[in-house]
Amino acid sequence: MNNMSPEVALNRISPELRPLLCSVVRNGRVGLDSTNCLRITDLKTGCTSLTPGPCCDRFKLHIPYAGETLKWDIIFNAQDPELPPDFIFGEDAEFLPEPSELPHLVQWDAEDPECLLQLVKELIQQYHQYQCHRLRESSRLLFEYDSLLEDPDYGRSLEIYAGHKNSWTGEFSARFLLKLPVDFSNIPVYLLKDTALDPGEDVALLFVSFEDAEATQVFPKLYLSPSIEHALGGSSALHIPAFPSGGCLIDYVPQVCQLLTNKVQYVIQGYHKRREYIAAFLSHFGMGVVEYDAEGFTKLTLLLMWKDFCVLVHVDLPLYFPRDQPTLTFQSVYHFTSSGQLYSQVQKSYPYSPRWDGNEMAKRAKPQFSATRQAFCSGLVIK
Amino acid sequence: MAASISGYTFSSVCYHSANSNSDHEGFLLGEVRQEETISISDTQISSAELLQVVEVHNHEPCAQLFSFYNYAGLVNEENLNKILKERRKNVIGWYRFRRNTQQQMSFREQIIHKQLTQLLGVPDLVFLLFSFISTANNSTHALEYVLFRPSRSRYNQRVTLSIPNLGNTSQQEYKVSSVPNTSLNYAKVIKEHGAEFFDKDGVMKDIRTIFQVYSALQDKVQAVCGEVEQSERVKEKVQQEVNKLKQQIALRKQKNAEEERRILEAQNPEPLPTPEENTEPPETSLLSLVAFNTPSTPERPGPSANPPAYADLLSLQDNSLLPSSSSPTSAALLPRPQAVGSPGHPSPNPMGLGLGLSVGSNEDEDSSEYENLVSEVAQLPPVTINVLAQGRPASLSPDGDASARGSQT
Repeated sequence: MNNMSPEVALNRISPELRPLLCSVVRNGRVGLDSTNCLRITDLKTGCTSLTPGPCCDRFKLHIPYAGETLKWDIIFNAQDPELPPDFIFGEDAEFLPEPSELPHLVQWDAEDPECLLQLVKELIQQYHQYQCHRLRESSRLLFEYDSLLEDPDYGRSLEIYAGHKNSWTGEFSARFLLKLPVDFSNIPVYLLKDTALDPGEDVALLFVSFEDAEATQVFPKLYLSPSIEHALGGSSALHIPAFPSGGCLIDYVPQVCQLLTNKVQYVIQGYHKRREYIAAFLSHFGMGVVEYDAEGFTKLTLLLMWKDFCVLVHVDLPLYFPRDQPTLTFQSVYHFTSSGQLYSQVQKSYPYSPRWDGNEMAKRAKPQFSATRQAFCSGLVIK
Repeated sequence: MAASISGYTFSSVCYHSANSNSDHEGFLLGEVRQEETISISDTQISSAELLQVVEVHNHEPCAQLFSFYNYAGLVNEENLNKILKERRKNVIGWYRFRRNTQQQMSFREQIIHKQLTQLLGVPDLVFLLFSFISTANNSTHALEYVLFRPSRSRYNQRVTLSIPNLGNTSQQEYKVSSVPNTSLNYAKVIKEHGAEFFDKDGVMKDIRTIFQVYSALQDKVQAVCGEVEQSERVKEKVQQEVNKLKQQIALRKQKNAEEERRILEAQNPEPLPTPEENTEPPETSLLSLVAFNTPSTPERPGPSANPPAYADLLSLQDNSLLPSSSSPTSAALLPRPQAVGSPGHPSPNPMGLGLGLSVGSNEDEDSSEYENLVSEVAQLPPVTINVLAQGRPASLSPDGDASARGSQT
């Protein structure tokens, strides 16, 4: 039951309540972690067991918040679908929002499909304030929060979860989830994952866990949208520095932001550089171009001829070009290896400088091709 | 804090709730009382424990949800009064029934509870939550109930709710609840037919009758006890008389024997040994006679320091033959040594339980002496005869009739 798909869950809900749940399940994204949708489980009914279904009118709503998942019970009455729901806030028994600050509750409109979703968002805001209030238990962590709050870049996109590790004993701990103000809009579209599968907002979240009230055990983690992670070269390509001992978030977060921004800039520049490189080679080698990657500009294939002897040259441009040197692969069109493949020879080291522009690289590539081609052909003759 | 609810109120709330096709709510009516228990132990002089007891007598269901509050949970006092009317002062809590939910107060319930606490003026207003949990295949349904007092701290909110006689009553008696029956119909019927069973003070007539019988029986028993005591005392007196007479007989015998001896001596000058046993009694018998007349302290008769002269005793003998009273000074009879515990000692028990004490073993021995006393008995004053006639061992026949006076000697 807990892993049922949203559509299955919707089919069990009482028909009068279904529109409200649709917007929650299909469009429901609250909080910073908008990659995770709201989820409903444990559907039950408040009607007698003799009532024919579907008549479920109470369920558990899973809400991602500050790295945790809140599980709130929402209670409707199928016999009175026009009435607003009631809530049980799970383990947060002391959380009691002010009803007057919940406009979508005070003026509940059962005809508005978005009403429940908006009400949940308002409750999350109140919940955030409640958690911030709990930070007062630790002056150190409260300082962290206040200092971030003062910075407009971070204060507006912050989620906090504070409390004891368990109800009776345990160290007071807190979790901060920040949305980093990094601009991903210039990342070339092709670098991002298939947007049809991941239509969500591109976002980078920094999750910092304080395991004690004095901030001696701090564990940061960076979460990226799948498309951004792919564009930047995967999870292994990006490592954030450890939280400095005695440091504070107001110093650490900008550091991570800068690192990420640099990375993104580098990726964007690399794209443009590659495009420039390909354009220069197209200009210099003209009719000799067999094919090239017109989207990502990562590949170029040339057909060179020397005294009626044709050689294919494949140029592979890496992600972090021009920092990383392109790979040249010479391939024969006449000869096969014993395994049935066309004979080829890879060359990674040749005179190269990342400071050259595309035109310069294309110019210097010609004598390099000549020299390498001679050696390649000699090798073929011997074979 | 403790709480209790009568079985019929509980079942009535459950009935209303289970028959509703949605959540259901209402108010609990009853009273709160304080119980103080003072215990004394070895470790401390006394300790007083104060317990607040909430008793639920009745309930007032609400016809529908949101009947006295709005969407924001704001309580409307006017609607509240319409529901409660004059029973507002009896409200001690409220209840809510919801199926398939957690046993935890919800957001709106907490908001409403706070307002009700203030509006109704009940600081420890309780909240009874019913949850009806059904399994997926509807094979098992559980009705769970929890009583909260939200005014307390988070970890001290739940109160045990007891329902008298809900449980295993096979090994314990059916407990009568202290909850009064507030039903109007019940009061009407009792008032109409109560006169047949209750008197003007509200006490059952049968109880009073039984108590009267008990009192009468007690009086009779007391009377019989008095009679037994009197009878025993009379018997004691008669016993003393009998002993006196026995002594007289013995004395006379002795006198006769001595006279015969003198006559023989006069006829025959040979000295004859005098029986020594005759010299001992005069000294000791007086004292033993004194002891006889004080039955509460029977003691072993012993020789006194200055026993009276034998001649003096003889001179007093004729004058004091008739036992006029039981005073020790009238004991001019020759004393006769008796061992302690002899049947001649009357029992010290005023109830006269010494029924077995009679003339006893001496009867056969002295039967010949009684023959001599026949003429003497005739000379005894009438009072003595009466004493003899009454002095039979008191015995209670099985029917307890003390008036039956069969001849028994």
